[in-house]
Amino acid sequence: MKRVVITGRGVVSPFGSNLTSLMDGLEKSKSGVARMPGWEEYKGLNSLVGAPAELKGENAFPRKIRRSMGRLSVFAALAAKQAAEESKIEEGLLKSRRLGCIMGSTMGSAEAMNEAFEIMLPNHDLSQLSSMGFFKCVSHTAAMNVAQALGVRGYVMATSAACASSLQALGLGYELIRSGRQDVLLCGGAEELHPIVTGIFEILFATSTHFNDNAWLTPRPFDERRDGLVCGEGAGVLVLEDYEHARQRGADIYGEIAGYSTCASGTHLSESSREGMRACMDNAIQDSGLKPEQVDYISAHATATIQGDQAEAEAIRDIFGDRVPVSGMKGYIGHTLGASGAIELAASLEMMSRGIIYPTLNLEDVDASCSGIAHVQTPLEKEIKVVVKNSFAFGGINTVLVCKKLDAY
Amino acid sequence: MDEVEIKKLVDEVFVEAFEIEPAQLRSEMRIFEELGIDSLDIVDLVVALQKKFKIQIRDDERVRKIRTLGDIYNFILTLKSETHFS
Repeated sequence: MKRVVITGRGVVSPFGSNLTSLMDGLEKSKSGVARMPGWEEYKGLNSLVGAPAELKGENAFPRKIRRSMGRLSVFAALAAKQAAEESKIEEGLLKSRRLGCIMGSTMGSAEAMNEAFEIMLPNHDLSQLSSMGFFKCVSHTAAMNVAQALGVRGYVMATSAACASSLQALGLGYELIRSGRQDVLLCGGAEELHPIVTGIFEILFATSTHFNDNAWLTPRPFDERRDGLVCGEGAGVLVLEDYEHARQRGADIYGEIAGYSTCASGTHLSESSREGMRACMDNAIQDSGLKPEQVDYISAHATATIQGDQAEAEAIRDIFGDRVPVSGMKGYIGHTLGASGAIELAASLEMMSRGIIYPTLNLEDVDASCSGIAHVQTPLEKEIKVVVKNSFAFGGINTVLVCKKLDAY
Repeated sequence: MDEVEIKKLVDEVFVEAFEIEPAQLRSEMRIFEELGIDSLDIVDLVVALQKKFKIQIRDDERVRKIRTLGDIYNFILTLKSETHFS
């Protein structure tokens, strides 16, 4: 089996269009959450908060590349471009059959879908629909648009497992490189903020509804006063590469993927499963060949739902007790859904490099149901050799990736 | 709506929908080879013209024969004479 390392990172988040701005937001304990103008017009939508990212820089792509991109694909393409540039991937490699991309999202562009239905439904008239609707709305919109924008000619695949989409993309990329199918893969995910997306979660009573007038106080992962998730948007892309290939071309290495697991809980569509989460973490650690006591930091999924946070805290406690620091990033940038795993892993790798763990924003009073684990509530300086990244999705889907510093073990 | 007005509106479609410089919009320009329109753009060109002139041309066979910008001006002029749209 080949070793798989990370040689590039690209991020678009509510804090800006690069990893530096994301880290700056974490360092300064900023909140990217705001009350969303115009959302009060939607009947039945009581969660009026979101974490929007600024849409800019799309003109870096020519019209024929840009025309098929909804908001999430623009984010994805910008993040992929950054990651490829940081990795110093030359044109020849970028266009070789040995380099591909795997991008996940919950679904296609919500904005484009909404627009298409608004055009079509009043008179059931298809004749006014744009040719670009298909390319913006399909589930592989991020993957195909990244491939088009960068001229990718290897594997192009899309993972779609809601909040676990981008971590599954990274996991699949890890497996494809490990087995020698590809040398380099741009892996990650993207998502866009739209009232219908928040509305889908609101229908399931999963959204935060009590902080519309003080949006910066929500979401509140693991906190007593948590009342649900807040949707965000953006993209995260990491360059995964065969270790020997990266060394041969002299690429900088930001970490090594040591283990991965994805599994179904097999119990319920939306109710989180402590057993399923625990099994997934166990499997990923086992896959890495490491022991739980070698883990230095857990980047939790922690969406701030009542049940999800409790199940995750219990599963972490089952394996790690209160020995391993745990924090989550959704208090800062909301839940970027299909993008969250990749964005949060990129930030975790940077924390590994800086030797600091940023705390869970808005975690003031740890809820009794989430206690017994080592919550990080103030910045913690610590050497991080091994990171566990969790992503859990509706549908009973669990995904865990284990990364380590190069040659740490 | 006269010929000048039709040309102006068609040109607007090319500028707004396809980001083509106004200086390039001459009757003899071949829309595929010289203006860079492709098979997907044609769908959006039809939609944009329908919207601009409040017409239905998606199923009109004559659309398939369009090659130059001048062909579009003439097609719309012909439609005008046939249907007397304003």
